[in-house]
Amino acid sequence: MFESLPVHMDYSGQKLAEQIFQKIIVIFGVIGFVIGFASEKLSYSIYILGAGCVLAAIVTLPPWGFYRKDPIKWQKPADDEPTTYSPLPSKTAKAAKKKN
Amino acid sequence: MNTILARLNALFAFSLSVTAAVAFACFLTTNFLDYSQKVDIDVNKVVIKNMEEFYVGDRHDLGHIIFTLKANFTPVFNWNCKELFLYLMAEYETPQNKLNQVVLWDHIINRGENPVVNIRKRSNKYYFFDDGAFLRGNKLQISLHWNIIPNAGYLWRVPGGGSITLDLPESYGTSRI
Repeated sequence: MFESLPVHMDYSGQKLAEQIFQKIIVIFGVIGFVIGFASEKLSYSIYILGAGCVLAAIVTLPPWGFYRKDPIKWQKPADDEPTTYSPLPSKTAKAAKKKN
Repeated sequence: MNTILARLNALFAFSLSVTAAVAFACFLTTNFLDYSQKVDIDVNKVVIKNMEEFYVGDRHDLGHIIFTLKANFTPVFNWNCKELFLYLMAEYETPQNKLNQVVLWDHIINRGENPVVNIRKRSNKYYFFDDGAFLRGNKLQISLHWNIIPNAGYLWRVPGGGSITLDLPESYGTSRI
């Protein structure tokens, strides 16, 4: 269902998104606690926390551009790779891998 | 955190943790408060009869009490009080039992309802049957207790105020109750 949409963030973007939603929800929780305590209604605290949850969802769920500024730099495919696929790598190739 | 569903999952789980923290903070702000209130109880009339208790098949003492009760529970309704359950309890001692506790009347005040209790000359709501026939001439202590049903936390039981001690009549009454 979601495969056709670009939903990924890069690694630093994921970390940023997590920090952002945690900060938003904690701040709204504290504000809700203060307002609920002042107005003597716990329901206000929960509603404010829910509003913070919705705001955090808007800010961090879609992969906005600033979560994708730091894409992974893949190495270019080496030229001397064999073009034909061999299911079992040869012993010399394994030894070379271990050395690296 | 790579897909939308993974982020939604993390966000929802974290929101629930913060909700629990807010509820616990609410509990902490109210747990150490003093919920006792001034209660005025007055007993207008007491009649004791000896009647057959049909479930038991034996004749036991039945008390009938008419009482007046005045209390104001406005300060009890803070932000962690959803409902208040009041009950009027009679306590006495008999040769059979060291402590007898009988609930005579109860009342529920929900949040938003009138927190002032002012009832006059009400008779007991539940049968006041003794375990035997030891009510005559006994000392009876009547007091109001209440439970606070909270939004978060446990059920507070407040030992009531307004305790009144009276001597029950020496003989069985003959008037209709």
